Amino acid sequence: MKTKKVSVLLCGICILMPLISCVKDVDFDQAEDVVLTPVYEVDFVYSRFDTSQFIDSNINPAIVVPEVIVNDTLSYDLLGTDFVVDNLERVELTFEFRNTIERNFEFDFGFLNDSDQRIGPLYSMTANSGNGEGTDPIVTTEVIILDTAEIDVLRDATRLISSMRVQNINSSLRGILELRSKGTYFFNYEL
Amino acid sequence: MRIVIFFIGLWGCFGYSQNKETLYDFTDLPQSLLLNPGTDINFDYHVGVPFLSQFHINAGLRGASIYDVFADDDRNVNDKIETTLNTLTSNDYLTLTQQLELISFGWESKKNKNIYFSGGIYQELDVIGYFPKDFVVLAYQGNRDFLNQPFRFSTINGSVELLTAFHFGYTKKVNKKLTFGARAKLYSSMFHIRSAKNSGTFTTVETPQGNNVYQHVISNADVTVRTSGYASLKDAEGKEIVNKLIGRAFLGGNLGVGVDIGFTHKINEQLAITGSANDLGMILYTKDVETYKARGNYVFEGFETPIQFSSQDAQNFLDELEEAVPLDTLSKAYVTMRPLKLNSSLRYSFNRYDDGTCDCYLEGEKPPYMDAVGLQFFTQFRPKRPQYAASLFYYKRFFNFLRTKLTYTIDDYSYYNIGFLTSIHINKINFYISANNLLEYTNLAKARGTSVQLGFNVIM
Repeated sequence: MKTKKVSVLLCGICILMPLISCVKDVDFDQAEDVVLTPVYEVDFVYSRFDTSQFIDSNINPAIVVPEVIVNDTLSYDLLGTDFVVDNLERVELTFEFRNTIERNFEFDFGFLNDSDQRIGPLYSMTANSGNGEGTDPIVTTEVIILDTAEIDVLRDATRLISSMRVQNINSSLRGILELRSKGTYFFNYEL
Repeated sequence: MRIVIFFIGLWGCFGYSQNKETLYDFTDLPQSLLLNPGTDINFDYHVGVPFLSQFHINAGLRGASIYDVFADDDRNVNDKIETTLNTLTSNDYLTLTQQLELISFGWESKKNKNIYFSGGIYQELDVIGYFPKDFVVLAYQGNRDFLNQPFRFSTINGSVELLTAFHFGYTKKVNKKLTFGARAKLYSSMFHIRSAKNSGTFTTVETPQGNNVYQHVISNADVTVRTSGYASLKDAEGKEIVNKLIGRAFLGGNLGVGVDIGFTHKINEQLAITGSANDLGMILYTKDVETYKARGNYVFEGFETPIQFSSQDAQNFLDELEEAVPLDTLSKAYVTMRPLKLNSSLRYSFNRYDDGTCDCYLEGEKPPYMDAVGLQFFTQFRPKRPQYAASLFYYKRFFNFLRTKLTYTIDDYSYYNIGFLTSIHINKINFYISANNLLEYTNLAKARGTSVQLGFNVIM
């Protein structure tokens, strides 16, 4: 009879197995607390201004141009899709100017919508004057932080306008101004 | 992003390959012929109960369990996801196989008692997805902490196939020692997606001497996703999808052919070796094919503004990207091999039931051995590399009506996988049920794999 008991036991196990199998010690409600917080670093704008390419050294240095402004507009969809806008917590735009030209430069940028109207503020910064050609560049760093409110304003941005302004230019000025920048996008996406 | 969590979550739910270690060489069940057409069976005929003769589900996950992410403890779920993400590698994977036998039958040849014919139809769903680690990390953590490190497109790897197989097999006892068998199969694929052998990288490179802070580089990208049976379903809804799939199930899909072969060789009365190769075949996809292919190189370093010396036209990032890494949709036919499976075993039978009063066997047949022990090996070829499993088994026949098999298996998922099969035979009626990873059954959340199969037959 011993084997019969064993067989009953085995049959029992086989019938009970699906019944006892369960999932425990887990809490699926935690899924609601899942937050994705990826951080992306993406290049923004860059520029390089070399006086030797821009200013003709044969011009009489006594001639001073009171102000030079260079403007540019380009297609730039800063935020892309609604998904990005809705789940972006913060954007940090970091600018680094390296200047050896003995002048301050004013750099502005802003955004346009499809109807060429500016949306959001015009962001301005100054690249400090350098000490002349061959010297160590003077480094100016600026960080612009866009919070959720500003990001929402810039939702419809499709174009980027930028300008560089410098005063009292003459042909004796020598040096290089470099601009490098990046955007750091902080997402906060709740499931 | 939802997909990322879904993927990790799914990772937790499943765990196993197509190994049916309890059913292999279980000579009391006709379904063992599907694993080895050369199984040494002793039936006059068999008929499976339509749609109920074999239901099999086999889910597996290598690398993590659902418990790793959703354990009810004091740790923050986001920390647990991050820990799990760091543990998983691109060699970890999720598999899901489901089979349903629609029809199953077999009979002994009237002309030659040593020949047994068997056939039927089954439906199969086979999913394998390797963990696309690099791109899950990119989606979950971003690129800031992974500067100068390539994200590899080769980590995108997986396939999904839904098909029916029509099969007919022949099993012959060649002599007292050797039984050989072969099975021809005709596959009708309803749906297939596969992405494999991708290459290339995406890297954010720091460039202190460059034009800008970084260069975002897509290098030698070559990513292909093959689909068939998908394009026409994209815009279909509910019933229409079901109708289309049913039409394809019965030879209206993409067709393929394959064979199973196998043998049992008795070294002596008690010792036998067996071996089989299943699904040695291929499917030719010609109908409803869409292949998506993206190839190219691209470097992005921001926009030159407001002062431009390179005198290039104003850039449009997306247009440029599309031009550099074009996405082509092709409808060229393609062929894929079926995932080949190999089984083998060594079995030692003992304890013959021979007290002369037994009704365990039919008149004229030798009394059966009541016990057997042995070893089994299983291999399945997968897109990246084969999966392996090795089992020890113990077979026990209690009475005529109850036959059981206990297995201990080591595989990719676990080192302590216990499986069990019970087959009940009352007159001609047979019911069997089998499951593995029994130690995990008290809490499936911690399991990395589980497999269940059950069915009803009429066997004589």
